[in-house]
Amino acid sequence: MKTILTAALLAVALPAGAAELRFATTSDPTTLDPNAGNSAPVFSLLINVYEGLVRRDRDMKLEPSLATAWEPIGAGEGWRFTLREGVTFHGGQDFTAEDVIFSYERGSAPESDTSSWFAGVERVEAVDDYTVEFYTTEPNPIFPDSIANWMMLDKGWAEENDAALPSIEQGNFATLNTNGTGPYMVTERQPGLKTTLVAFDGWWDDDIGNVTEAVYQPVQNSATAVAALLSGELDLIEPVPIQDAARIEQSDGVDVIRGIEARVIMLGFPHDAENLIAGGEEGNPFKDVRVRQAVAHAINIPAILQTVMRGSAEQATQLIGPGLRGYSENIAPGTYDPDLARQLLAEAGYPDGFAFSLKCTNDRYLNDEAVCTAINAMLAQVGLKPLYESMPVANYWTTLRAEDHDMYLLGWSPGTFDAEHPLRFLVATPNEETKMGSWNFGGFSNARIDELMPMIQSEIDEPKRQAMLDEANRIMADEQAYVPLYIQPLVWGVKEGVEVVQRPDNFLVLRWMNVPE
Amino acid sequence: MLAYIIRRVFQSVIVLLAVGLVAFSMFRFVGDPIENLLGQERTVQDVERLREALGLNDPFAVQYARFLGRAVTGDFGISYRQSRPVSQIIAERAPATLELAFVSGVLALTVGIGLGVFTAIRRDGWAANIIMSVSLIGVSLPTFLIGILLIYLFGVQLRWLPTFGRGDVVDLGWWTTGFLTSSGLKSLILPSITLGLFQMTLIMRLVRSEMLEVLRQDYIRFARARGLSAKSVNFRHALKNTMVPVITVTGLQLGAIIAFAIITETVFQWPGVGLLFINAVQFVDIPVMAAYLMLISVMFVMINLLVDILYVWVDPRLRIDGRHT
Repeated sequence: MKTILTAALLAVALPAGAAELRFATTSDPTTLDPNAGNSAPVFSLLINVYEGLVRRDRDMKLEPSLATAWEPIGAGEGWRFTLREGVTFHGGQDFTAEDVIFSYERGSAPESDTSSWFAGVERVEAVDDYTVEFYTTEPNPIFPDSIANWMMLDKGWAEENDAALPSIEQGNFATLNTNGTGPYMVTERQPGLKTTLVAFDGWWDDDIGNVTEAVYQPVQNSATAVAALLSGELDLIEPVPIQDAARIEQSDGVDVIRGIEARVIMLGFPHDAENLIAGGEEGNPFKDVRVRQAVAHAINIPAILQTVMRGSAEQATQLIGPGLRGYSENIAPGTYDPDLARQLLAEAGYPDGFAFSLKCTNDRYLNDEAVCTAINAMLAQVGLKPLYESMPVANYWTTLRAEDHDMYLLGWSPGTFDAEHPLRFLVATPNEETKMGSWNFGGFSNARIDELMPMIQSEIDEPKRQAMLDEANRIMADEQAYVPLYIQPLVWGVKEGVEVVQRPDNFLVLRWMNVPE
Repeated sequence: MLAYIIRRVFQSVIVLLAVGLVAFSMFRFVGDPIENLLGQERTVQDVERLREALGLNDPFAVQYARFLGRAVTGDFGISYRQSRPVSQIIAERAPATLELAFVSGVLALTVGIGLGVFTAIRRDGWAANIIMSVSLIGVSLPTFLIGILLIYLFGVQLRWLPTFGRGDVVDLGWWTTGFLTSSGLKSLILPSITLGLFQMTLIMRLVRSEMLEVLRQDYIRFARARGLSAKSVNFRHALKNTMVPVITVTGLQLGAIIAFAIITETVFQWPGVGLLFINAVQFVDIPVMAAYLMLISVMFVMINLLVDILYVWVDPRLRIDGRHT
């Protein structure tokens, strides 16, 4: 009863043009601490509450946020940020250089899940209250890009509440409470059930829609979420199951909004394995580039997109999508040519194909299991003998890390929205010391790419950098390091008239939403 | 009687230890929690630090002993997913599940016994035949399908009832209840029908067949011959004697209602412990999984114990036998 009364009072107190948004996604953020969870659900919610020095606009381009300007120091010794003046936290504290230094120390601490963003940072200095300098060991052209999700906390607030360091394993005050500078404040947090955000009157910017209160509830079962959208209990759901999208579009009072995510789905090969784990074959046929090319030509990607993805996705040519920084224009999409695939297999000495395992997730990417079933059949058509197995993602990474795989499905969303990101994690030779290739399960290794990597990472000159990225992407395509399949679509369901902006990082940016009254 | 109870409690402890052991040895196959706890940009150092902090590097026996040692003091550790004490999370979620189970149980018992008696007395009536046929649906359709069908009909098409969640709840400090608000009560209807339907039809069919059996007995005929009212014969004499198997089944099913609320809770996004468990499995949240499995096994053991005691109370013959053995 109490809650109803409060809601009624709030409704009376809301200014004209105010609107409430009730929205749902499948997974609740694990934490509200911006340094304790480096994952999309966490940032998608927190981006409405906390802000970084820089932020991404509707097209993913960097724009000033809590920093009004930034510039390289000298010939690439680091980056200098000029801070915005007059910004206050939700709790009323002023935002100054001291908070930036504190947020850097917190975000780069070993206890933090975001420390890799600051791997090359040597020291950070506050020149005055509104100027901060980051000194890096090597020139780092994409440093501003890599800290777009780095959020500013108030030093005093965090220290008073014993949350000066994030705690992934124990949790602390910042796990459930927030104090950002962003357009919305968290007024209620019940993990797994309900999170309420209310617009912050003292926000410094004015690029904000009419949502004054947003209530977030996780709904795991997509059929339930769809029903709640159709019945009008929810105004926005993400994602909509692709197979239901057409039916929802035809219903009254609801719309489906489609976009493209930054996530590329691909197939990986066991490059460094001596023998395959499945089949009696001696040796590893995938070491032969012709075999890898045969696989690429055997897969009819347009057919998968048309049937399994219902026309919602786009074919990928490389490990990032077009429009992202460092995208190589000179790479053509793979072609479907089963005859050529058979011919390549024959040339490589496998006219009758061979047996190997094909591992996939069944709860990680949109329709992942159906995509793999289709791929399994397509590979069999050219004479290959895949032994297909799908599993929940909870077991999947462990299986891949244990080298218990031959071919495998993988999706990658580049955190920096730059071509260097997938190269660093998926293509560079795995090396614990340099922290490269940590998701390169197949152990792909190319000397020239390894040589290019540090140069790409420290090249300030944009055309030179692009030329090196083009070369690396070219080598990857020629060597068929992976088979890029498609770019995952974004499919949201909204109440008719709700205006949203779908950014390729799939964040739900409340300030760009408008809800009909 | 006391010796019997003590013996049963002792047996229960062994059952619980075994459940814990089996559960713990299975957690290794659920996946690696670190994969979910850290983002894709993590380093090997991050993984090692967290593994050490969570005690995942310790041998299996050490982890199990540590869990048991804490569990006896009521401390089930910190949830990996929510970074909060598991006991606190379960205390928050339990009212939702218990209220749902209570309403489903009451619904299943009253409607089940009522319809069971009715269909037994009016054995060949058309209404009884229709009820019997319809009840087959309750036994044969899977829970999630019934849930989705009810949501579609009453939530989406007719829009009478909410499609998900628990509605507004009143916080009493130690308990949150949906019984005191209209949205809370409305939200209870569809999930409790979904959850209780199977038990309802089961109890109905059981009561019916037991009643038919009892009604054939000589003492019923004799009671009728004495000129007792039909009401008295059917309910005082016949129904009471059908209760022994019904109590057994109800007792076991009460456990099932709570334990298998998982599916109903998932379909209706009902914020109870079942949904919590499903989330924990997906996230490899070992502390929550362990606590849930232990609690469910404690509950089953207690229900079985209670059912055994109830037998003795309902059926005097068992009391006499008990004295001799």
